Amino acid sequence: MPYHTFKCSEMLPDREKHAVIKGPGEDITSALPLGNLNTVPGTITERGCAYCGAKHVIGTPMKDVIHMSHGPMGCTYDTWQTKRYISDNDNFQLKYTFATDMKEKHVVFGAEKMLKQNIHEAFDAFPEINRMTLYQTCASALIGDDMDAIAKQIMKERPGVDIFVCNAPGFGGTSQTGGHHKINIAWINNKVGTVEPEIKSKYTINYVGDYNIQGDCEIMTDYFNRMGIQVISMFTGNGSYDDLRAMHRADLNVLECARSAEYICNELRTRYGTPRLDIDGFGFDLLAESLMKVAMFFGDDCVEKAKAIIDEEVARWKPELDWYAKRLKGKKICLWPGGSKLWHWAHVIEEEMGVKVVSVYSKFGHQGDFEKGIARCSEGALAIDDPNELEALEAMEMLKPDCILTGMRPGEVAKKIRIPYLNIHAYHNGPYKGFEGWVRLARDLYNAIYSPVMNLAAIDISKDDFETDKGFMTRTMLSDPGVPREELHTENMYTGKMDIVTHLRDKTYDFPAPEPKADAAV
Amino acid sequence: MTSLRPNLKLMRLFEENDMEMKERIAILENYIMQRCLWQFHSRAWDRENQNNGILGITKTMLLGEEPDLSTPELKCYWVDAKCLVDGFKTKFPWVNEMNKEDIAAMMDGLKERIDYVTIHGSLNEELTVKLY
Repeated sequence: MPYHTFKCSEMLPDREKHAVIKGPGEDITSALPLGNLNTVPGTITERGCAYCGAKHVIGTPMKDVIHMSHGPMGCTYDTWQTKRYISDNDNFQLKYTFATDMKEKHVVFGAEKMLKQNIHEAFDAFPEINRMTLYQTCASALIGDDMDAIAKQIMKERPGVDIFVCNAPGFGGTSQTGGHHKINIAWINNKVGTVEPEIKSKYTINYVGDYNIQGDCEIMTDYFNRMGIQVISMFTGNGSYDDLRAMHRADLNVLECARSAEYICNELRTRYGTPRLDIDGFGFDLLAESLMKVAMFFGDDCVEKAKAIIDEEVARWKPELDWYAKRLKGKKICLWPGGSKLWHWAHVIEEEMGVKVVSVYSKFGHQGDFEKGIARCSEGALAIDDPNELEALEAMEMLKPDCILTGMRPGEVAKKIRIPYLNIHAYHNGPYKGFEGWVRLARDLYNAIYSPVMNLAAIDISKDDFETDKGFMTRTMLSDPGVPREELHTENMYTGKMDIVTHLRDKTYDFPAPEPKADAAV
Repeated sequence: MTSLRPNLKLMRLFEENDMEMKERIAILENYIMQRCLWQFHSRAWDRENQNNGILGITKTMLLGEEPDLSTPELKCYWVDAKCLVDGFKTKFPWVNEMNKEDIAAMMDGLKERIDYVTIHGSLNEELTVKLY
């Protein structure tokens, strides 16, 4: 087994099997790190907690909901700017965040009374919102507050109100993945099947495991709608609480992030017989095939529409993608996302942008996620499970990447050693899904690598001399020397607009008339 | 759990030192591992179902037979199989020139390899966990 031992972790023998290098001729039967295990004492993990996985990843993208944490107010920090799962209702779920602000006295004397008061106050303050998700935290779990009982009392006292209780305290799992699991199962156990949707099309899906980061989900649902497919629910990006209660009525579950949302697809398959189709929403080639798969499931009319969309989008955006690919060719990147981009991007970003993925990692991925990522990686890639900060630094020193694709915390560490980073959690200038979105990613990657500021930032103005009679290296001087002269102007840089999502919200779609279903009247 | 019993037909094929067939299977395996996600469901029993369903229909289609699409589950397998068939035929033109017997042997060998890589030879310790 080609395990890689970091020098900084030599004193932590339990870390020994958490990193591998995919050597020549090796595959996932010989190169696979451990995953989804408790963080080793002595290492400083970048992981989140189970509460974070339940609320901040999956619960809060639901748009028409008061999201309340029953715990200290610090638990509910992640909102505007740290999370960018936008919505088409003026981002209610991002602008307003709620916590019961539990203090020591509540831990001693109980906080149920205070919880009930908070819930009433929140509904009173926002009378247009009558749905709530209620999240347990470490504090409220340890004192044993019965949140389900309080929720039932409120629903009895306030007819028309519906509350979902999520019991996923921070300590309930190895990382955020424990919370993903708990909220998936709680939602299907308690809410799916409690609302009947209006069926508008012959073809219906749930679009699962997309959290609408800067509009990703809206880009994809636009494609589906143009194909004549009604998206009954989005789990959970831009998702509506009541739509998600109707997930049982879809013909197909189209799954993007299997790490965070395979559980509900598996349960829908078991309980309602709805098939699960895993797709890739990123990259021209894989996205085109994914759209075709969804279309083929429904029939020839759908296939024709999908083909038309693909042809139009590829013709419009491929030349601009190629402009960046020529300039990014050979650049080394570390693909260090949270979970699913580990496999969604590992191969296609090399194929279509010309970069070389020299490392993949995941903070909370399971071994199954690493199987997908390593299977798609090239030889020589370093795969790390649950890395600590020092290991990430050592990896960067060893691999000398041109850019780190990751989230804010490890990204800021990279910047300290003057390696540019691209935020692929909350995104820099997304959406990155869809054909145009993939070009936007290439554009942001280009901007990160070739920004003149990276060279200027390396100068320590407190002690280094530098030439004051010369200018700085422009991005063209940095990026274009390797581009053949005759190709310099054959394609364009990105020409899209800053906001490519808002206009989609005004679109109307034609759906093929639904066929009556025998069990629809139940 | 699928039996670990060796595929005798495949072994005979390899004993005849049919390196070309081995190479072809390796090419198709690599194609699947780099492009597809269906083989990576989280539990061994689920991977068995996926591999049997999708590679079974792929074989049926490559042999020119009509697949059974009578349930949503089978139809879902079929869309992945259809993409595989189209990909195999487009990327690897030699698939179009193979006779049915060779195609059947190749697909049996491919199935055995995918089962090995994703199930029997997998290092994934979660494959046998009883709950999701």
